[in-house]
Amino acid sequence: MHKRGSESFSKYFVGIDSLEEIATKEDRICVLNILGNESRGVTPTSHAFSGGNVVFGTMPGRSGQVLETPAGNVPVYNNVPEGLAAGHAFNTAVIYLPPSGVRDAVAEVARSNPELKKIVILTEKVPVKDARIIRAIGQMYGLDIFGANALGVADSHNKVRIGGALGGTHPEESLIPGSVAIYSNSGNFTTTIAFYLLSKGWGTTTSISSGKDIYIHFSAPEFVNAMENDKRTKAGVMYIEPGGYYESALKFNKPVVTCIVGRWKKRLSKAVGHAGSLAGSGDDALAKEKWFMNYFGVDNIFTPEKPVYSKKGAVVINIAHIPEALNLVMEANGVKPDFTPKGDLSKKAWFGNNMGVELPPELDVPVVNAIEPYSEQIETVNKQVGATFPRRNMKDASGASRMDPKTQVTQVHNISVLDATRYTLEKNLVMSLIREYPTNEGAKLAGIILNAMMNQHGQPALAAAEAARAAKSSPNSVLSAAAAIVGPATVDKSRKAADTLRELFQHKNITDPINSGFDFSEQLSQTDASVFIQSEPDALASHIANAVANSGIKSVFVDFVLELARTGGGHATTDALLGAITTTLAWAPFMRKRVSVITINNLPWHFKVCATLVGVAAPAAKHGAGSFLDLDIGEMISGMSFGETAYTALIGRRPTQEELDDFNIILGLVISNGPGTISAQGAKGAVSADGPEDPFRVQINKGYIGFLTHTGFAHGGNGYEAIAFLLDRFKDSGLKDPGDEHHGLNLEEIATKYAEEYRLYKDRQKEVGNITYAKIPCVNHPVFKGQPVNHDPREVFVRDLFKNRGSYNVFLEFYHNLVEAMFKAGVSKNVYCVNVDAVIAVIILKLLWEPYNRGEIKDNELESIAFTVFLFGRILGTAAEIEDHINRGRNMDTRTAASKCEYVE
Amino acid sequence: MQLTGLYWGHKLLKYVDFPCADVLGPDASAGEIKDLLERHKQIFIKPIFKGGVGKKGKMGLLGRVDSVEDALREKERLFFIEHISENNVAKAEGVTYESAIPAEHEIYFSISDNTRFRAPTITITHHGGMDIEELPADKLKVIPFDPLTGFKGFIVSNALRELEAPQELISPLVQHLPKLWDLYHNYGMTMLELNPIRMMPQNKRLVPVACDFKCSFDRDDPNWMRLGIPNSAFASDYSEFEQEINQLRTYQGQSDVFVINDKGTITPMTFGGGANALVSDLLSDRATISSDFGGNPPYEKMKQVADICYKYWLPQSNVLFIIGGKANNTDIFETFRAMGDGLRSFITKNGPQPLFVVVGRGGPNLVRGMAYLRDTLEDLRIPYRFFGHDSAMSEIVNYAKDVDDWMKKEGVRPMMLKARG
Repeated sequence: MHKRGSESFSKYFVGIDSLEEIATKEDRICVLNILGNESRGVTPTSHAFSGGNVVFGTMPGRSGQVLETPAGNVPVYNNVPEGLAAGHAFNTAVIYLPPSGVRDAVAEVARSNPELKKIVILTEKVPVKDARIIRAIGQMYGLDIFGANALGVADSHNKVRIGGALGGTHPEESLIPGSVAIYSNSGNFTTTIAFYLLSKGWGTTTSISSGKDIYIHFSAPEFVNAMENDKRTKAGVMYIEPGGYYESALKFNKPVVTCIVGRWKKRLSKAVGHAGSLAGSGDDALAKEKWFMNYFGVDNIFTPEKPVYSKKGAVVINIAHIPEALNLVMEANGVKPDFTPKGDLSKKAWFGNNMGVELPPELDVPVVNAIEPYSEQIETVNKQVGATFPRRNMKDASGASRMDPKTQVTQVHNISVLDATRYTLEKNLVMSLIREYPTNEGAKLAGIILNAMMNQHGQPALAAAEAARAAKSSPNSVLSAAAAIVGPATVDKSRKAADTLRELFQHKNITDPINSGFDFSEQLSQTDASVFIQSEPDALASHIANAVANSGIKSVFVDFVLELARTGGGHATTDALLGAITTTLAWAPFMRKRVSVITINNLPWHFKVCATLVGVAAPAAKHGAGSFLDLDIGEMISGMSFGETAYTALIGRRPTQEELDDFNIILGLVISNGPGTISAQGAKGAVSADGPEDPFRVQINKGYIGFLTHTGFAHGGNGYEAIAFLLDRFKDSGLKDPGDEHHGLNLEEIATKYAEEYRLYKDRQKEVGNITYAKIPCVNHPVFKGQPVNHDPREVFVRDLFKNRGSYNVFLEFYHNLVEAMFKAGVSKNVYCVNVDAVIAVIILKLLWEPYNRGEIKDNELESIAFTVFLFGRILGTAAEIEDHINRGRNMDTRTAASKCEYVE
Repeated sequence: MQLTGLYWGHKLLKYVDFPCADVLGPDASAGEIKDLLERHKQIFIKPIFKGGVGKKGKMGLLGRVDSVEDALREKERLFFIEHISENNVAKAEGVTYESAIPAEHEIYFSISDNTRFRAPTITITHHGGMDIEELPADKLKVIPFDPLTGFKGFIVSNALRELEAPQELISPLVQHLPKLWDLYHNYGMTMLELNPIRMMPQNKRLVPVACDFKCSFDRDDPNWMRLGIPNSAFASDYSEFEQEINQLRTYQGQSDVFVINDKGTITPMTFGGGANALVSDLLSDRATISSDFGGNPPYEKMKQVADICYKYWLPQSNVLFIIGGKANNTDIFETFRAMGDGLRSFITKNGPQPLFVVVGRGGPNLVRGMAYLRDTLEDLRIPYRFFGHDSAMSEIVNYAKDVDDWMKKEGVRPMMLKARG
């Protein structure tokens, strides 16, 4: 049973008799689920484009809210009756609901609004079961339904679009008034075809995106009837896919070009995107081509090479051929295009780069200017420099580090910590911040500036650290005290210098400022010199400049600052050189959009904090007016690497090459254990609380304090317990040099003796019911267990490294003897692994054994040094986490939802 | 999503109490087979194929036996037999043992949604047991009906009278056939076919007994899950890749993806059903997959989709081809960011590889999206060309094909890898 509608259709109801009636200025719209994701983006454009035709929207529970649009706010009600009761009248419903809600929405809107004439359903994947009911409801109530799985309808003459996003965010680009009506099974092609038609001077009347579900409610016969009755329309374009018999009995009086695509689909047994495009043998693409060829009286497909057409029309199988076919068909009818052609469809690359690959000439398509407004947009994006990271919740997430749960090996910026053991301290620090290793020249510059920042003579940071040390605070607390002093005011000028350099040079095609020989004479006259120079001499700046000169490395930015001082009659400042060097280091990845503007601005602060933390590890007596660590400051800056200085600050003497290598191993290994570690969580929490969405208010020094407060004695990585354990074993052994394999000790015997003792101790404790008996530190691991003989791959890596270098460590060898002895003594069921924490302990103990033996270092100092070495290494990973979180995180994103917290009685 | 045969068919028909031949599954013991034979004298042995495989009888994939020995022999022949039709090969996974139903009359019956009528429609004839396509139009009835009132007995009655079917058929079919509407309409089917229904004499009446079964389910209707059919019953319809990626299929952003050629050299990431049809036509066997990612997928979903596509197809691909028309609603920035990030993850994990990226696209946030992808590709040192929506899509497809042809030449892929450094 169906209502009576157009007289052209006797077997079922069709209300619309002319395309003019599809999207009119008088239509008033109600949008169901108006505040849903899809509608929120699309409806404001439709509403504004159509002169404000949406009277209200619905969304359960949102009554009283509005949808903001450029044409004013659209009110929202809980349901349709509520909106009607509020006095709004509409004749067209647009449905944006999820599939499961569509059928009921159609029923609701049809029942509650007697004025309803049209429904547009945008939703994809509406079940067929619901579609058949929707069809029946439409017939019963006398409604024209468009879709589902469609993009709605639009009328270029009326400047109205209803439903979906035909024409996208800029409908005026495609919906140009003309004389061609479009009917398309593809929503995307509705717009694409309208755009293509412009290239031959054809505009549109009404465009219909029909959808391509099994049920197409307003389909080809209805379109053709309405087209014939529309005085504005001189011709039609139809885009048709296989499947369904909607086009099997059409009658045309006006010329039509039909594009049928999907010959290939015959081979497919599953629908892709368009559920109704699966065809049987009678309704496949070839069958449909035949139907239309018969209508038009042609015997072949139209191609530009072989243009087969009649006055009635043409069949194409490529949408790009539509404009030309239409031109010829219309020419045969004596009809000229609507306007002068706009653009053409030839191949035009907007972006391209061969990336060093030699392409054959025919593939080496040149990049050309895009059409407006895109060319202007491209010009703008080409001016953008640096990376932009999408912001998201970064709780327990990191774009800097990740640990492989299988191997327990962490990567920082895709570099394994095992590989990091082969790099120097300054290289690893720079890598943590700029996401890749610097060149040797870059590392040298980093070393110079870091060394220059270490001496804290007369500075409050040193006083704070000393006060904390005097109060017997732990090493992390001591460093925290100093970090608190390196606040934003201490780096204002260097950050300003970095920013100014970036602005001056970012569009000058400098891919790497080191040794590039860039002529900056133009920039010299453009800048405010006071950012970089001052009238009084700056002694430290002179040392830095000398060190750079002695290194033979040329940096555009350092040279620029020095030249500015020379020509401006002033003196370069330390702040300016800090900014110049950090910007030099970050420039190449910045140009490649690996790091952001934010990072360029932050780098001086990171450098200052890191150098201060390492510097205050040395006692106050080592910080002098012109000296540091008893070395002339100029010589120290020039002649030592940052790693050497850090070692000397901590251990009290300059390292040999082997000792420096060992030091780098420890530092590399402890850089990071991923974002889940407590130290990373401390740093990330500190950043999160400052609100990284406004990145310039994040206090970077506080991020380091967050990390430092989240380290402590229980951190396995600091080797604290293992050193105490090894001291107990070797204190009275007479061991002289732990690096000499001819030490004269019987390690197997020491290990066996201890394993036996330990077995007795363990048995005794179990007998008395003490299950928290003391465990041997640095053996066994929750992941690397269960095999007859177990290995921690990280420890294996280091042991192999030692072996290849011909380096010996008696303590590490003892550990390996010990795990075997424990197995033999029945303490363990298999041979435990020696875990990576042991590596840190054995290296530190080896480095400090001789002074310890001589009584120059006490037990507690040994422990303090071990802890501080761990902190030095972890500073690097922390720098990476802080910078990453500032760039990617959201405000307060590390908090835990109350629902996930527990109260414990 | 199709099912054929009585292994699942008899279980489904039980839901609506429609009579069906007795069926034993592949695990049936010799004793059970013997018991079935004793009750029915004759049984059919039919191979079980996953998904939709028809015309087994014509292909000789059917055994008709009246002894346990013959039954076991047929079981051995048919248990893993291959069914070859055109280019498709299906391998059996077991057999069913189905009772033979003695009857004078065979009925063909089906329900589907017919686009000529835009309504659910039955097709019925009492000249069943043969291919319906082979029957002249005047020997069958095709009748649409209103889904709001449903499929009623009078429709059957009228149809059979008009076909001049024997009188004794009408009443039993009027009684039983409408039950099938419940199965069809309420469990998410788009096609249900029983051919043949054999009219078994029982107590002086005829009882319609389903002797074969075929149905298709609507992937967009979750009601089929209420039938308790495991996913594995359809598993052969999908490759491992298809199963993995189609888990992401929701209404928010399409993720319909199927394998075209597992030896293909262009991996198209296609946006829009129209683009999918056009690109598939033009690329044909060069394409690894056929895809439609339109419908404005959010970043997370697009990233997951890209990750899976890249994992399976990039190692063998010369061209990663991102193609669509002038998008109406799909956010180009979000989708390109996801595909770019996916590519970065892939290269980070698998190392550099020779690849050329060709893009043809238009839509919201186009330039931002292209700029993001450009930056990613330049960082990964992958050559590329991006075309806007003012270039004909088919021209861009041809360009991708030309790049593919060039990269297939000896030495080009190693040269590209070397150029990457």
